[in-house]
Amino acid sequence: MNPKLTTPARGDSRPANAIFRRRPAATTLAMLAVVIALPLVVPSATLACEILIFAMAVLGCNLLLGYTGLLSFGQAIFFGSGAYVAALAMIHWQVGLFTALLLAAAAGGLLALLVGALAIRRTGIYFVMLTLALTQMAYFIAYTLSDWTGGDNGLLDVPRPPVAIGGFTLFDLESPLAFYGLVAVLFVFLYLGARRVIDSAFGSTLLAIRENEARAAAVGYDTRHFKILAFALSGAVTGLAGALYAMLLNFAPLSNIELPMSEQILIMTIIGGTGSLFGSLLGAGTIVILGDLLSALWPRWMLLLGVALIAVVMFMRGGLWGGLESLGRRRAGAARKTQEDA
Amino acid sequence: MLNVYLFQILNGLGLGMIYFLISVGLTLIFGLLNFVNFAHGAFFLLGSYLCYTTVTLTGNFWLSLLLAPLAVGLLAWLLERSLIRRIYHLPHTFQILVTLGIALIIQEVSIMLWGPVGKSVPTPELLRGIVRLGHFAYPQYRLFLIGFAALVAVALWLLLERTRFGALVRAGSESTETVSLLGTNIFRLFSITFALGVALAGLAGVLSAPLRGANPFLGPEILGVAFVVVVIGGMGSFGGALAAGLMVGVVQSLMASLWPQGSSLMIYAAMAVVILLRPYGLFGRA
Repeated sequence: MNPKLTTPARGDSRPANAIFRRRPAATTLAMLAVVIALPLVVPSATLACEILIFAMAVLGCNLLLGYTGLLSFGQAIFFGSGAYVAALAMIHWQVGLFTALLLAAAAGGLLALLVGALAIRRTGIYFVMLTLALTQMAYFIAYTLSDWTGGDNGLLDVPRPPVAIGGFTLFDLESPLAFYGLVAVLFVFLYLGARRVIDSAFGSTLLAIRENEARAAAVGYDTRHFKILAFALSGAVTGLAGALYAMLLNFAPLSNIELPMSEQILIMTIIGGTGSLFGSLLGAGTIVILGDLLSALWPRWMLLLGVALIAVVMFMRGGLWGGLESLGRRRAGAARKTQEDA
Repeated sequence: MLNVYLFQILNGLGLGMIYFLISVGLTLIFGLLNFVNFAHGAFFLLGSYLCYTTVTLTGNFWLSLLLAPLAVGLLAWLLERSLIRRIYHLPHTFQILVTLGIALIIQEVSIMLWGPVGKSVPTPELLRGIVRLGHFAYPQYRLFLIGFAALVAVALWLLLERTRFGALVRAGSESTETVSLLGTNIFRLFSITFALGVALAGLAGVLSAPLRGANPFLGPEILGVAFVVVVIGGMGSFGGALAAGLMVGVVQSLMASLWPQGSSLMIYAAMAVVILLRPYGLFGRA
């Protein structure tokens, strides 16, 4: 019954992440290289920040969709509330950078715990509908609490506090490049953390739930418990991303907590490659860069996302990562063949 | 004072009939095809825009009432033949993603064709006046809307309950395999039902155009409400879609002047509660 998004590509009997799991070191190195090269390659450090911030949100989404098989339209709740909580704490309580980020992660995690606990009481289409209804509720709540959230105008003047210990400022984050440094360190930390979670027994159980929940339950796992925990982790990561996004923009718009935000995160996850952490970086990077390049030239570039979404589901389940992987495999296969021939 | 409430309730019934037309298509498609159509709101949008274009070109609303649903239905039929039928066998997750892609494409193409700002559609000349009943006055078009949608509902009911086609759809909703084994071309039945369901969304788009105009960003909102109606009414239930559609319409209309966000909050909360407590809907069969 459980929907699998990482069904192997045609003519390939291995799961999409089998190769990837054998070479985690290689992809980790590739990830590090991308993170270091990003501000040098893309037009601005702000854009680089945006890529990594969305890549974090996509990591969170991937944990649910790619590794547990849960299609959640609730990601905007965690992203938006992370942004609001961090911004409000900084504005009203003058908390520092790390306290604000921790609060955002906690808020995202707790809300995800709640959303997860409710939504997983149903499966399939009803599960999806529940996450959708809860996102709509969160949006209208944020809209109604306009004294706090600024409603339609968004929450203005969100500060970007410096990295400080005990009131002593270590780094100022005002320049986009300095802020990129912080975002990059957090991203690498979260990526490696996600890697560890996925390689742990916990992660294997999530995969088992994705592949066949009934069987995982029959073996004796309390699958509900695992699904709720996956939600909480996903929510915490997404909330943190939301907080960083508010700091980047100095602004927390209402659209953070709107359904299209959930869709955007989902689309990045799917186009990058479900069930691949590096795919998360690829998906977020491709779409943020495409958006930046094309939105000025052709405001209707979202049309391409619709086409890409259909194409990925119909022909390339592994997304960009899956495409790269099968390309690599084909070349490796060809090389081996020429060696044998020689 | 009472007249104000009567006015709002009548408005709510009109809105509710529009919601019914959208949702009944969604629910028919889900019932027979077991297919989740996230592009349903986008087809509604297309209906509104085709109405706008027809009215702008010919000045004839009645022509658009005929042509727009037909055109939307034809597009749906083509999509079904080319794309949708390839994903029936996939899990709902994939169906949601593909139709989400279709919705995105329709929305962006609509903006390309008609611009990012909404268009307003004039009320047809024949129905610009008001109906008086003693002290109570009500716009003719809104009254027409309720009556016309009710006629469509009756016709649809007759189609489903009294014709061979309807019998096949109902039987197919119970067991597609059996209907197929008994010698019916199930794929043709699927195409027609999909086109019919989507055409109904297009019709709803036409009927609502003189009231709300055509706006490219209306799709997701309409889709959300349609899912609320379908879930509360029970997926696959005709009567449920009617009852829940009217209920949601009247609630939204009564709360529109008091607290519009509150009514949206309420209907989505109601949807969540129904899924959790009565997953087959208030009117659906278990």
